[in-house]
Amino acid sequence: MQPAGIEVRGVTKRFHHQPVLDNLSLSIGDGDICVLVGANGAGKTTLLRIIASLTRSDSGEVIFGGTNTPMDARRAIGYVAHQPMFYLDLSAAENLRHYARLYQIPDENEAVNLGIQTAGLENTWDKPVRAFSRGMQQRLSIARALLHDPTILLLDEPYTGLDQDAAHFLDEKLHSLRQPGRAILLAAHRPQRLLTIASHIAWLKDGKIIQHLPVERLSESPELVNYLQEVA
Amino acid sequence: MKPFQRYLKTIWQIVRKDIRVEWRGRQGIPVMLVFSLLIVFLFNFALQLSPELQAGLTAGLLWVSLAFASTLGLNRSINLERETGALDGLLLAPVDRSAVFFGKSLSNFLFTTLVALVLLPIFGLFYQQNLFHPALILALLLGVGAYTSLGTLLAALSIQARTRDVLLPVLLFPLALPVLIAAVEASRGVISGQSMGELQSWFLLLLACDILFNAAGLMFFETILEE
Amino acid sequence: MTLTKKPTALIVLDVLSVTGILGLLVLVLFFTPVEATMGSIQKIFYFHVASAWAGMLSFLIAAGAGIGYLSSRRFSWDWLSLAAVQVGVVFGLVAIISGMIWARPVWNTWWVWDPRLTTTTIMELIYSAYFILRAGLTTPETRARLGAVYAILSAATVPLTFFSIRLFRTIHPVVIAAGSEGASFNMSPRMQMTFITGLIVFTILLVDLIWHCYHLSKRKAKEQWEIK
Repeated sequence: MQPAGIEVRGVTKRFHHQPVLDNLSLSIGDGDICVLVGANGAGKTTLLRIIASLTRSDSGEVIFGGTNTPMDARRAIGYVAHQPMFYLDLSAAENLRHYARLYQIPDENEAVNLGIQTAGLENTWDKPVRAFSRGMQQRLSIARALLHDPTILLLDEPYTGLDQDAAHFLDEKLHSLRQPGRAILLAAHRPQRLLTIASHIAWLKDGKIIQHLPVERLSESPELVNYLQEVA
Repeated sequence: MKPFQRYLKTIWQIVRKDIRVEWRGRQGIPVMLVFSLLIVFLFNFALQLSPELQAGLTAGLLWVSLAFASTLGLNRSINLERETGALDGLLLAPVDRSAVFFGKSLSNFLFTTLVALVLLPIFGLFYQQNLFHPALILALLLGVGAYTSLGTLLAALSIQARTRDVLLPVLLFPLALPVLIAAVEASRGVISGQSMGELQSWFLLLLACDILFNAAGLMFFETILEE
Repeated sequence: MTLTKKPTALIVLDVLSVTGILGLLVLVLFFTPVEATMGSIQKIFYFHVASAWAGMLSFLIAAGAGIGYLSSRRFSWDWLSLAAVQVGVVFGLVAIISGMIWARPVWNTWWVWDPRLTTTTIMELIYSAYFILRAGLTTPETRARLGAVYAILSAATVPLTFFSIRLFRTIHPVVIAAGSEGASFNMSPRMQMTFITGLIVFTILLVDLIWHCYHLSKRKAKEQWEIK
């Protein structure tokens, strides 16, 4: 298996002529779960969207371990955004089936069933997503992102609006995904609960990654520790 | 699976999905149909149209009501993708992004054509003309095809503005004028019994519009959405 | 707004434009003969066609600048595109109004649905929509990107629009009081000379005005966003 990884090199992105991301570089290694922290509006979502190829950077590049073309890269990426990316009038299963087909997964039925199970929605698989709570939609969104077995997982503030059950569900999912052959980048505004799951922390400030440390060595950066305590 | 097959399958999946959503909610086509009929009635009384309608007016009325109804459908189609960010989901798919354009364009085309096919017998009823002529159907397909391609492209553009719902008609109508002129003239000619030879220029113009707007979609769709 | 020295080339252009317009006026009023059937009002024709020409050229420039922006993503292309549309809309309006002023005494009507006038008016609508589009977009980058696509698309449809209207007119000719439909009169050598001069003068004026608008946009953007 090819090692997974994300290599962000010199990415710059301007909005209103001001650089939101300023010659930013970041390396996510195989098996890492990296938590991206930073103030609201610091550019976490922008960075994730650029890595996911939804937003075009002004300069710089993003390279993924084991992929050659942009399309290979998209196939390798699973993205959980603020919005769940569903069709509200379709059922959970129908939505998953749509994505199974977009990614041309060979055995649709198996993938959809697995996805429903992963999301814990066996009882509501045929109900329209419109009727789901935020927690249920998020669980389904995670199942959607994992449907095509991506090696790279990008999550943008996935805990927002989740109830306890859904949050625990996400914790467990992330635990199980921390393994060689995958790399995870997760943006979080308040990352406390993630310090037990994550392997690394990256701090985005003023358009750059000013700190990137393994969680064990967090104490090496008092500023970062301070910042984390402030946002708690 | 070869890349081209994947490309076609993606287009087809988008169309299927749109059909399924429409079937579930039934909010697009009925609204388009009712709206187009309302316009027909409005014009009927506003212009005091008589049952023995000249061919030209039938053609004009048909295309005006289709254009307005189609615009409603175009708006709804793109807003569907905006609701919970499903458009991003489509853009993330591992296929050339122009497939998303052709998928949405094709489903818009199908819905508008369906409305048109329901309108034709109704027009026949109101104005005592049989509109089911092969050449007219051809003009219909070419005209709706060009209009919905351009509309899909401009809809993708409009949703990024604050004034999104109002913006689409403002952008679409002036640019779609050659399509509407050619479609009305071709239809009028067919209804009044002219031959294809006489109407050749109009059909060629429609074809040129189809080619131009689909090529534009191929070239610009991704640029419009890539932020 | 801070004052900076005007570039020499622009000063030269300003002078050339003003003298050009004045010179053209002299030519039109005193040098060219009065046309037989239409009388003195025909002389507005020189300004009318030159304006329409300048308008068309502007929109082509806007489309070209749009391509420039999309390839390089440098904002100077966007300022150029915007300037070209701003100037083009004004020239278009002059062309339409002068066309109407000409039509009134000649054909006894304020408006003729002839292909050129109709196409010019539709283009005015298309390019007015350009401003409406830009007004609805909040980020400069989005405005530039979508404006560029729209400018390119609009320019591409102009030939189709013109052709469709012309074809329409040949099938549905408008019966006008004083005879033939289009502007058809023979041009004597003097008239030809004035006509060409008009085109040249208006092209110089076009470049001059676009340059001014470009600079205005550039300075406004730099002040507003503090770009270096």
